[in-house]
Amino acid sequence: MSTTVRSHKAQKVIERLGKKLNRQMVGSLAACVHCGNCIDSCHYVLANPGDVTFAPPYKADKIRGLFKRHYDWTGRVLPWWVKAKSVYTDQDLEELKDIVFGKCTNCRRCTINCPMGVDMAVFNRMARGLLVSVGIMPEGVAVVSKDQWEIGNQMGVLKEDYIDTLEWLSDDLEAEHGARYRIPIDKKNADIVYSINPREVKYDPRTISDAALIFGTAGADWTMPSEGWDMTNFGLFSGDDDLGGAVSRRLYEKVEELKGKKLVISECGHGYRSTRCEGPNWAKMDVKFDMESSVITMINFINEGKIKVDKSRNPEPITFHDSCNYGRSCGMTEEPRELLQMVCSDFREMYPNRAENYCCTGGGGAMSMSEYTPRRLKSAKIKADQLRATGAKHVVTTCHNCVDGLTDLIKHYKLDMKVTQLVNLVANALVIEKPAEVPEVIVVAPIAAEAVAAAAVPAFATDGFLTGKRILVADDEPDFVTFVTAVLEDHGATVIPAHNGDQAMELARTEKPDMMTLDITMPGKSGVEVFELLRSDKDLQRIPICIITGKPELRKLIYERTVTRPEGYVDKPVDEEGLLLNVRKILKAKLEKRA
Amino acid sequence: MADTVKISGTSVRLVKGDITDLPVESFVFYAREDLKLGSGFGTAITVRGGQAIQQELDTLAPARMTEVVVSGAGELKARWIIHAVGPKFQEPELEEKLRQTIFNVLHTAEKKGITSVALPPMGAGFYGVPLEISVAVTLDTIADYLRNKSNIKEIILCANDNREYKPFFERLAALGQPERRNR
Repeated sequence: MSTTVRSHKAQKVIERLGKKLNRQMVGSLAACVHCGNCIDSCHYVLANPGDVTFAPPYKADKIRGLFKRHYDWTGRVLPWWVKAKSVYTDQDLEELKDIVFGKCTNCRRCTINCPMGVDMAVFNRMARGLLVSVGIMPEGVAVVSKDQWEIGNQMGVLKEDYIDTLEWLSDDLEAEHGARYRIPIDKKNADIVYSINPREVKYDPRTISDAALIFGTAGADWTMPSEGWDMTNFGLFSGDDDLGGAVSRRLYEKVEELKGKKLVISECGHGYRSTRCEGPNWAKMDVKFDMESSVITMINFINEGKIKVDKSRNPEPITFHDSCNYGRSCGMTEEPRELLQMVCSDFREMYPNRAENYCCTGGGGAMSMSEYTPRRLKSAKIKADQLRATGAKHVVTTCHNCVDGLTDLIKHYKLDMKVTQLVNLVANALVIEKPAEVPEVIVVAPIAAEAVAAAAVPAFATDGFLTGKRILVADDEPDFVTFVTAVLEDHGATVIPAHNGDQAMELARTEKPDMMTLDITMPGKSGVEVFELLRSDKDLQRIPICIITGKPELRKLIYERTVTRPEGYVDKPVDEEGLLLNVRKILKAKLEKRA
Repeated sequence: MADTVKISGTSVRLVKGDITDLPVESFVFYAREDLKLGSGFGTAITVRGGQAIQQELDTLAPARMTEVVVSGAGELKARWIIHAVGPKFQEPELEEKLRQTIFNVLHTAEKKGITSVALPPMGAGFYGVPLEISVAVTLDTIADYLRNKSNIKEIILCANDNREYKPFFERLAALGQPERRNR
């Protein structure tokens, strides 16, 4: 007589599976007839012809077999007939991890092509959650989940950094457009509570200031919360319903505390789905206030005459990428197009589109799982072909994950394209009719005066706001160094170029610059080594560093750090405005820290 | 109902906020065996407290399950960080290991002469210890410990949000006498 030995984790996974089964789940697990209609729907299959392990039925059967073996009578009676199979070892669980995290982005394109209504993403997410519950997950998923559980947002942005960012954005807006454009924080009884993705604070603050510009021009009664402001939810990706509930609840409770009338969600596919659609169930809350996408808010502002837009200001050919969560899962396919037609003059559809669109390949948390990057980029070929065929110069998307996924594949496949969001296009097309108010200039002390002067200068004005600043630019691409040098020197900075990691270390030590930009992949010492050496050196650790990289997958530099994070992070290709915004933010933060 | 009770002369107080930003003598960080601070509260400790904390931990690592290590708190408002290696992710004998970890936190603090300790909901959240188990074991272990004469003057239970605050608040009243305070 033989006995079956099962690892503790495998046993726990099987036990918890039983608690996760509901009508929707069982329906999807039981209904597949293996017709194969879904196979060509999957971007992984299209990029890996002949590799059966990417096919949705193969992936689904790995989870389905577990269900059949333990929770379906057919698997108990006729296991060989229905391919019932259990898990026994931690290695079995690791193999399952590779499938559910590394071979599926939960995009649901196979789902809409299934005649039986099997929702692959529902049980793939459930399987992710089972593995997470026993501590088996990609490192990136662990890092991001822990940040969101404990810091309250998935990028570990501390409260003081978040508030500081809103303040300096407000300073910029006030200097350029007047006091009514400042961002109100924790205002009670506002018509709109605006929630964002922490990526906007960390990597793309212009989306926040563009939104503020639109709200200010519309004369909206709005606010941003000081806490509970993250509308993203890594629980959707990790399958952890408890995390999903905790994150949603923090946001909902904050809106209730502020007595906000409506929660507006900035452009983020999974954030919109999590907050608007899944969150109330995860949080087990009856949400009393309205929730809407910022796309709807912007359309209403235009239709109600609160803002005027001039579409001729966005003349370049633009195409639109439907986010899987926003479009396919939430049905938001027409609204972005309606807004695009209002604010740009050359819109071109991508084919296929709407619910049939292909994933950006960065969905389902894939951008945080660096171990699967080569697989992800290979599977992105279908998306790259789609983009190239449009002939557009800009691809617009309503999702921050898609922004990163598309940026990465555009770089990889060398497409001549930039990624942008609707909020940027609307802000660019905005007609501000009132003359700008003259800002009040307050000079109180030498350092404060310097700070005020810095705040009063628009990021891309050519009036020497970097005068006297010495900036070390470390990058092995001569063209890039030339570009950055020209931009920074136009504003008064002295640039110290370094063309490899060793030179960067030497110059940092001898020149003690006010800040430095640092490429990650360089000959000699890599940017990662240079970064860690600088941070570990008592004399050099306070030099502010802005990482500028063409390889977003190397963000693990940030995620796997044991040293203080870089002060800034910019993806290549870099434009002048983005570069100056980041440099100014970093120098201003340094100035305030010193003050 | 009260957010503060007295147990054998020691004040047990419930607060809501970021434990790494509290102006306290010491707080507990739910640690890994390699004592790497990592993300989450580890991010906050590194960013606000500086590199010295991880550097000190590297000299103390590794620590075994239920063991406790004390480090300085760098530039944080606290003076000490108590790194406690507790159970994670449904591992066997979870409650017993959690009880032993919390006991070791209090015992180690007392041996070091620390009189005020702030604790998060131990193991709840990312590490998957069910919140109700974390709350029950934490409060029961604290009560048992304090009833056997202790020099610890104050224990602060720090919840991150309302979801964590509520079960602590409901169970706290059963622990001891509400503390009289002038308001």
